[in-house]
Amino acid sequence: MKFLSRLVSQMLILSMVLLPFSTQAGMIGTEQIVSNVTAEANRDKVLEFVSRTDVQKQFEAQGLTATNAADRVNAMTQEEINRIAGKIDSLPAGASSSTGWIIAGVIIVAAIIWYYWK
Amino acid sequence: MLGFKARLTAGFIFLSALLSGCSLIAPQTYALKEQRPAGLPPRIELTQVPFYPQEDYFCGPSALAMAVTAAGVPVSAEDMVDQVYLPGRKGSLQVEMLAAARRRGLVAYELAPKVEDLLRELAAGTPAIVLENYGPFKWFPLWHYSVVVGYDLDRLEVIRRSGKRPRLPTPLPVFEKIWREEDYWAMVVVPPERVPVTANEARYAAAVVALERSGHVKNALIAYQALLERWPGSLTGQMGRGNAAYALHDLDTAESAFRQATRDHPDAAAAFNNLASVLGERNKLSEALAAAEKAVALGGPMLTATAATLEEIRQKIAAARAEDALRTPIPVAPAATPQPAQLSPPAPAAAPTIKPAKKRRAPAA
Repeated sequence: MKFLSRLVSQMLILSMVLLPFSTQAGMIGTEQIVSNVTAEANRDKVLEFVSRTDVQKQFEAQGLTATNAADRVNAMTQEEINRIAGKIDSLPAGASSSTGWIIAGVIIVAAIIWYYWK
Repeated sequence: MLGFKARLTAGFIFLSALLSGCSLIAPQTYALKEQRPAGLPPRIELTQVPFYPQEDYFCGPSALAMAVTAAGVPVSAEDMVDQVYLPGRKGSLQVEMLAAARRRGLVAYELAPKVEDLLRELAAGTPAIVLENYGPFKWFPLWHYSVVVGYDLDRLEVIRRSGKRPRLPTPLPVFEKIWREEDYWAMVVVPPERVPVTANEARYAAAVVALERSGHVKNALIAYQALLERWPGSLTGQMGRGNAAYALHDLDTAESAFRQATRDHPDAAAAFNNLASVLGERNKLSEALAAAEKAVALGGPMLTATAATLEEIRQKIAAARAEDALRTPIPVAPAATPQPAQLSPPAPAAAPTIKPAKKRRAPAA
């Protein structure tokens, strides 16, 4: 069952990736103009697919369901995928914990002191 | 290992340097204090931006919900959790913040890393999501998203919605310090009809292309039109407008957009190619042929696509001629009309596959 849903979501990703390249016979998509996609688009398509499935797997490892991970990967541009591929466990992840607030509090108190000071 | 006293002194020097808006720790605040940027009102507060208090680690979802709601699409922080929160990281990634805003049909734009640009966006009425790092050490980062909703240049502070605080005035040097740690990362969420005041043409265009790609083609079309109002000659704007209109079956707009693109960018093969396609579809075949030939003549990396378009239009012309050829004999042999008339519908469809080799030469002659 899990295998099936993963397969389906990967097929979905592939179709989403291929979509901008096959808008309609004869039309060149806007994304291609911006990213200067060349005649080697086929090779790029395969690379895109690989990096997208890669990111999807990393998302699943971070606790997302297969479908949710696929949705979120689909919402990203290739440039965004490239920005996070392989770095999901080290990139900034805005969260803030209580420790953070203590430090923030110290800074804010210091700032208030500075107010009366200057 | 440093002694306690030495560390205390170092900390004190650091804090006083920070608080005086020192050019080393908060260089942009320092520059701003030296010379106030022209045309900025002294204080701004966007009170209409809603506040969603943050639960646990959900500062990403709540910051995003505030910005998306302020851009005209009411959502709650809970709505955004599934789209940006990453359980394994107990936080949200920057690219997901951008992607999730687009999923609501809005344009997500990353600001240039400048305090001045942030203030200009606020002055224009757009709140910004910023990524801060409170971590005291490089190896102990504490990332946090907040929404900047205002500033006061006289008091030298920004006003943020952060965590459980709906209105947290923060001294600008302090804010710059924690913001600078993450390379001054800020994003704005805007409705498609509004271009952020500080937007740069290429990066805004990329943001709209991303919106188009996400499937919100209607909104992308509006955004391309807004882009063209700001930068009338933009090739991406013209092509995007044409492609989005084409996807929405608005061939009039598509044709006029591609025409404009070929006029403004006579060396853009993609513009001639897409113009040829639309004209071909509208049965303006001789014009389509001229455009397709021009696209091929321009060469470049799109040659495979442009050659395919040219071939397709030649086949269309061949098919049209075959149809004409079938129609002309009709008055000559009136007795035979019933049968060819019945046969004629499948004939044009079959024509391109049978005769391409012969007819390919015809348009060139």
